[in-house]
Amino acid sequence: MDAFLQQALNGLTLGSIYGLVALGLTLVYGILHVPNFAHGALYMVGAYISYFIMVEHGLNYWVAMLGAGLVVALLSVLCERLVFHPLRHAPPIHDKIAAIGILLFLEALVQMHWGADFRRMPTPYTEIFHFGSLTLPAQRLLIIVGAFSLMGALHLYLKKTMTGSTIIAMAQNREGAFLVGIDANRVAMMTFAIAGFLAAVGATLFAPINLVYPAMGHLVIMKAFVIIILGGMGSIPGAIVGGLIIGFAEALGGYYLSGTYKDLIAFVLLVAILSIKPTGLFTKGVR
Amino acid sequence: MLKLENVDAKYDGFKALDGVSMNVEQGELVVLLGANGAGKTTLFNTISGLLKPSAGRVSLNGQDVTGRKPSALVQAGVVQCPEGRKLFPEMSVMKNLMLGAYVHRRDRAGMKKTLGHVLEMFPILNDKKDDAAGSLSGGQQQMVAIGRALMGRPKLLMLDEPSLGLAPLVVKQVFSAVQAINQEGTTVLLAEQNAFAALKIATRAYVIENGRLVMEGDRETMLGNEAVRKAYIGA
Repeated sequence: MDAFLQQALNGLTLGSIYGLVALGLTLVYGILHVPNFAHGALYMVGAYISYFIMVEHGLNYWVAMLGAGLVVALLSVLCERLVFHPLRHAPPIHDKIAAIGILLFLEALVQMHWGADFRRMPTPYTEIFHFGSLTLPAQRLLIIVGAFSLMGALHLYLKKTMTGSTIIAMAQNREGAFLVGIDANRVAMMTFAIAGFLAAVGATLFAPINLVYPAMGHLVIMKAFVIIILGGMGSIPGAIVGGLIIGFAEALGGYYLSGTYKDLIAFVLLVAILSIKPTGLFTKGVR
Repeated sequence: MLKLENVDAKYDGFKALDGVSMNVEQGELVVLLGANGAGKTTLFNTISGLLKPSAGRVSLNGQDVTGRKPSALVQAGVVQCPEGRKLFPEMSVMKNLMLGAYVHRRDRAGMKKTLGHVLEMFPILNDKKDDAAGSLSGGQQQMVAIGRALMGRPKLLMLDEPSLGLAPLVVKQVFSAVQAINQEGTTVLLAEQNAFAALKIATRAYVIENGRLVMEGDRETMLGNEAVRKAYIGA
């Protein structure tokens, strides 16, 4: 039982990070209507920027997180302006190719500038809490609390504010959104900024219990794809719940089945769920 | 108020509008008659800015608005209630209406006033205000669509086939709402296949065929015209 609870806690940690990354991906999907393959690269750049703000400039963890969030938000908006916006009338395959191009470009850029070494990101939170027989490192607690607060804030922004609603409106009916006077460019830039910010903060939260290296975004983004396919493309609750499902499945599967194959679990689960419910868990009918 | 001069528009490389010239004066209710595929929706989308004309000029109160963005046209008071309604299906009725007032979002008091007016016109929407717009019946969804367009406080309201697919009783209700909106001073441009019902409330009408305006006249002329009767009224 203790082992189960411990793994569930680990699953919650993983799941909240996956959820954050998948949220950004699903929001951008609502605008582009293709998955943004470059999202994993933004995640990776976020981790590097935090790392260098902390290690080279000796600034505080929180300053680094905010700094990385803002820089990556800007980078994400630049991708939209310079790459996806000019392609808006092109067939969707062009967006996909362009997104892979951005991914390769950013990875190569980071590798050229900072090298391919694996780096460990320091964290000021190194205590370990004990609850009965459960152990919870402070950083993991921070991940869970941080990720869920961000999700909560995003939820309030999307549901309660007019500008937030425009993002959802655009995803639900693009022409309808134009006809009420919503400016497509504004919404696209805002969505990319939010997605970039979430990716960078997610990376900064997760990096101290992982490593920082140019290919660190690969597995995360692959899993985020699995999550938004599971949860239904474009669905916001789907991204959060899907993230948690994958997080729990990985932690529990890794412990009870095989630690070696834990990265496979997400994909096996995808195959299983899609064969039972091909539209994903949270899609209401076919678009 | 609205003036089109020799407007051409292409749709998927096909010339969907061919030298369209029309005008709509302040306070009028102008009906655009045409069969499926005649170009009614293309014409509306060109006026709304969803589609850029390949030639010609669109002006609003003497000001050139050719090729402006849809958001700029909504700001200027040209609001379209599109064919197929194009609501935000998973949002509540209230949220749909509020987004209709997006361009007036800083004017809370004004929004509230317009909302009161819309709910007075369609009281059923008040009962359904927390339901997802996509869960409503076709007639109710049409009311949400008209209500959402009114929330933008249009000077010129363009309605694209608001009676499409609705039960006869609901059609009647929609037409009397459109007439009421016009009588309150909003200029209306109405595209319809339901010619008789539309002409009954019209000031003037145009007939569009294969992307060209082929006929124009006031209500009596159109109702009395043999070709119009044959093609669109079936009598």
